[in-house]
Amino acid sequence: MNYFNTAFGTASQVQQNLSGILAYILSFLSANSKPILQVLVLPGLAFTLVFAIVAVWFERKFLARAMLRVGPYYCGGRSGVLQVFADFIKLFLKEIIIPEKVNWLFFAITPVMVSMVPGLALVLIPFDANWVLWDIGSLGLPMFLAIMGIAPLMPIFAGWASNNKYSFIGAWRVAYMYISGEIPIVICAASVAIMAGSFNLVKIVEAQKNMWFAIPQFIGFIIFFIGLLIESERTPFDMPVAEVELVFGWRTEFSGILFGFTMMAEYVMLQAWTLLFITLYLGGYNGPIIMGNVIGSHIFWLLAKFAIIVVFVVLLRCVYSRPRMDQMLKIGWNYLTPIALLNLFVVLALKLWGIF
Amino acid sequence: MSEPTIKPELMRISWGPQHPMSGQTRILLDTDGEKVHKIIADLGYTHRGIEKVLENRSLLGGLIPIERMAMVDTANISIGYVTAAEKALGIQVPERAQWIRSLVCEMSRINSHLYAFGLQAEATGYFPAVFIWTTVDREVLLDLFEELTGARWSFNHFLPGGVHKDFPEGFKEKIIEAAHYLRNRFKDYWNAMIENPMFEMRCDNVAILEPKDALRLGATGPVLRGSGIPIDMRKEEPYAAYADLDWQIITEDACDVMARTKVRFHEIGQSLNMMEQIAKEIPEGEIKTRFSPFARAPAGEHISRVENARGEMSIHLWTNGTTNPYRVKIMPPSLRNMYVFERLAELSNMTIADIPVVINSIDPWYLDADR
Repeated sequence: MNYFNTAFGTASQVQQNLSGILAYILSFLSANSKPILQVLVLPGLAFTLVFAIVAVWFERKFLARAMLRVGPYYCGGRSGVLQVFADFIKLFLKEIIIPEKVNWLFFAITPVMVSMVPGLALVLIPFDANWVLWDIGSLGLPMFLAIMGIAPLMPIFAGWASNNKYSFIGAWRVAYMYISGEIPIVICAASVAIMAGSFNLVKIVEAQKNMWFAIPQFIGFIIFFIGLLIESERTPFDMPVAEVELVFGWRTEFSGILFGFTMMAEYVMLQAWTLLFITLYLGGYNGPIIMGNVIGSHIFWLLAKFAIIVVFVVLLRCVYSRPRMDQMLKIGWNYLTPIALLNLFVVLALKLWGIF
Repeated sequence: MSEPTIKPELMRISWGPQHPMSGQTRILLDTDGEKVHKIIADLGYTHRGIEKVLENRSLLGGLIPIERMAMVDTANISIGYVTAAEKALGIQVPERAQWIRSLVCEMSRINSHLYAFGLQAEATGYFPAVFIWTTVDREVLLDLFEELTGARWSFNHFLPGGVHKDFPEGFKEKIIEAAHYLRNRFKDYWNAMIENPMFEMRCDNVAILEPKDALRLGATGPVLRGSGIPIDMRKEEPYAAYADLDWQIITEDACDVMARTKVRFHEIGQSLNMMEQIAKEIPEGEIKTRFSPFARAPAGEHISRVENARGEMSIHLWTNGTTNPYRVKIMPPSLRNMYVFERLAELSNMTIADIPVVINSIDPWYLDADR
């Protein structure tokens, strides 16, 4: 008790201090209501989690139709909406098995990091000129690419730490794929920045008020989309987790909620790259203003475009089979990179002649 | 199996039996990065001693265990044993029974090839949509089996001297209808698989098996015909009604995975033609020659060779004057093709990603290989 008194004062002093702390918290909340809303809701936590849940549910239901099945059927009525929550609870309650001779520090940390790093990049996406969580001006695009450049390290660490041959091969496949996918993406992003005249993501969006960059840079648009599939490990470029070849690639040894995190990472990655794709090529948040609410309609248009792209990405999954690793590298180095460079030179020429 | 030694610079991966695409066997891969240098197939995980079981049953009773060798292709397995038993007992089979046997065998072949397509599509990384489509389309055949034999799966329809049941009412029209439906569906499969550029990328020029190697290593079935060698037991030693039916041996000259897949596609076309011809031209008459289930086969040796969906199956039957066979030796097609698969890593360049594709182009049935 003596110790408590010396540390915090008497009971009445503690009461005064507590009310002071509460008042401080309230004033902090009211002063920073917008950033807190952004962190918790829109580009932040709720958006990421809700997208992961809705996308998993939609993918299971939609692909089931392609396979002449009905998909999740019993959990949460005929629509199966609660199936994802049930799966999450199951994964959460399962024992986390850490095999012998793994590097347990990396083994435990990387699954969390792998879904967190692309989530960090989301803070840079403009949902409106006044709705950017971290507006760093002309550093926006380079910072996004820098954060996403860290992301592939996590699967590589995870595969290395797992002490499993399949994980090991899967990890190196990740490394090969990111090298061959990231370079065309960066070149395409650079040509967009040249055309917009700025690295600032808000300015890039504002520059597309009259015409989306997908029209003058159609080649870059296609290459960026393929690069997006490569980066987010979506079919047909899901070699790192190729189930029939490598059991589950770099995710093989993970169990319980660690596995859940690795699965969620795929969707967060897709979310981050797709939002950048829309920002760079599909006019970002631009769209007709609905009912005079500028911010609301901008957010609506960005999310609507996002939903359409995600549906298209899911659709690809039931159409294509997976190329081999050497064929994948061939696609990356022989086709995507030279064509992306060509696109860059065309954009430079257009800029020099003053057409854009 | 004691593990063979490995070069120190290579990494050995144990592929199966707990692997999504391995089936009930273990395959050891000696790899250097993605490249596979050596394949060792470790068979025998599902050995059930069917040859020994057959020694303890009468010739009629043996038909039930032998069907369990390859559940997806039961008719073609049991016709081998039935043909050998008929030779041992000296029974003649009525012509109508022979035609019904051919019909059931061809339907069973389509059934098995459909399963092979589904797995092949899945092995190339297709989402399992094609696998489910083929499984659903098999229902058409299973319904026909149910109506004819009373069972959808492992129908014990053949017996020495004929077949158990004749066509039910209106069965011929149903056969023609089913053949028409399946022929339309195969156009979809052709577009989804053979014409798909990604599927072509994975299958063209993979695991090339030259004709001389195919003969030297004893390949059989679609693997052999995919290497351009027209050998088919239905033409070499016609059994059932195959001598009377119009059909050709399908061969492809490309010798790769795609060629084997195409052989299966075209063989299904031939099988559908045969189904239609049987429905139209089947002769009237008896369907079985009666014989005692306790008939004693005179001492002797008899060999029957039949063409399964996976290749030639030969059965060597010794009898010694009792109701039971003295010894039955079965040479299953999957075992022969698995030896070819082991050698393929040395004959052509192969990566880890090719392994599931190549296994499913061989289309082994491990229960069949292990007997």
